[in-house]
Amino acid sequence: MRIKEHPILKFEEKKKLSFFFDGKEVYGYEGDTVASALHALGVKVLSHSIELHRPRGFYCAIGNCSSCMMIVDGKPNVKTCVTQLLENMVVKTQVNKGDIYEAN
Amino acid sequence: MKANIVIVGAGISGVAIAYNLAKKGVKEIVVFDDNYLSGGATGRCGAGIRQQWGTKNNCILAKKSVEFFETAQEELGYPRDIEFKQEGYLVVATTKEEDIQFAKNVILQNSLGIPAKVLTPEEAQGIVPHLNLDIVTSATFCPTDGHLNPFKVTDAYYLAAKRLGVKFFYEEKVKEIIVKNKKIVKVVTDNYEVITNKVVNAAGGYAKEVGDMVGIDIPVYSENHEILVTEPIEKIQGPMVISFSKNIYCQQVPHGSFIMGRSDPDMPKGHNTDSSWHFLDEMAKTVVEILPPIGDLRVIRQWGGLYNLSPDRQPIISDVKELPGFYLACGFSGHGFMFAPMTGLLLSEIILGEKTTLDTTDLHIDRFKNSDFKDYEKSVV
Repeated sequence: MRIKEHPILKFEEKKKLSFFFDGKEVYGYEGDTVASALHALGVKVLSHSIELHRPRGFYCAIGNCSSCMMIVDGKPNVKTCVTQLLENMVVKTQVNKGDIYEAN
Repeated sequence: MKANIVIVGAGISGVAIAYNLAKKGVKEIVVFDDNYLSGGATGRCGAGIRQQWGTKNNCILAKKSVEFFETAQEELGYPRDIEFKQEGYLVVATTKEEDIQFAKNVILQNSLGIPAKVLTPEEAQGIVPHLNLDIVTSATFCPTDGHLNPFKVTDAYYLAAKRLGVKFFYEEKVKEIIVKNKKIVKVVTDNYEVITNKVVNAAGGYAKEVGDMVGIDIPVYSENHEILVTEPIEKIQGPMVISFSKNIYCQQVPHGSFIMGRSDPDMPKGHNTDSSWHFLDEMAKTVVEILPPIGDLRVIRQWGGLYNLSPDRQPIISDVKELPGFYLACGFSGHGFMFAPMTGLLLSEIILGEKTTLDTTDLHIDRFKNSDFKDYEKSVV
């Protein structure tokens, strides 16, 4: 969901950016973070807890809580709430502590 | 209160000594700590267990301690996992001198039954794939070295000692040890006066100060050594990687975090345990040079703890001729955690006048009376 009408502020439509989320091509807008784009698309599960692997969603949105760590362009443990969305980014849901060998 | 023995310090050495004494039937053992269980150097250490040493004493102490750790969980009746992970220590050489020295060390280690071996850089990379071969000239590896959780094994000793009747007092500082006619008569703490004629000094970073209380000058000093820990990732590294020339030790603990430390040659002596940006900077540069992918990880926190350094970087486990009834377990020079089972065993034997499992002449404080004591341990970070 995105706010389109507001009594005071104006939200001008920005450039559409295409990216990949778990293999599917999806869209966000210029100025989005990875997490805000996913949130607008209704994606609720971003990462999983370390011990019990329970789903974790959008939470602090300022890079502190580590609930939004995902694999971005092959790199694990990226804080997607403070990572700017770029055209053609490849974003994957992370289910473990992060494998840095897959990144290299 | 009356006690047969008062132990100053509830780190791993203190609890191991208490446990061994209690197991041999000694009653009325009291342990004081001005902090809490493993609140000093034990809880701040790098959690490594190493047998690859350059002196015979250190090799034997380490080997026999490993043998204990292998069965410690059952022996101490601990309900949880003490996390003894034997995946080795990879000692990395980066100079010709180190190649020669480490090869000699391995001959010594093998002669004492320690299964270490010399590796080529390529063989070392087979064990730690992300090792930077540009700086490695050779390596040595001992598969039975590894990692142990300091909090859990200290807790295991503590609970076992408590079951055998040892009394522990925390946040209880020993303020005075009263000596009359060259005999200990009383220990005074914040809230207690304990009548006793035996005191064990297992005070870690404060061992010298406890010695000063009874007028015994112990030739040790304390120094802050800093450590940091990263966020956890999936397992990529089995062994501890250590280099003396590069001044680093770095291991991935079972939880997935990397723990790493190095020493600062400009660190002043004293009891400061602050964390510094300087360490963070130097540590990051060092680890990225030797294990490049670790540079991608976030640092979660850092801390400092006290090494208690002896003149030859080997422990002092002994009685004191000038003051019968005063016993020392100090000067471990950064390795008291991994030697603790032997510290506990040997000091209990010394206190009870039993034949010691090892010849302890070279662990006696009197070895420093000759200024030309023979072995100096170089394998220290």
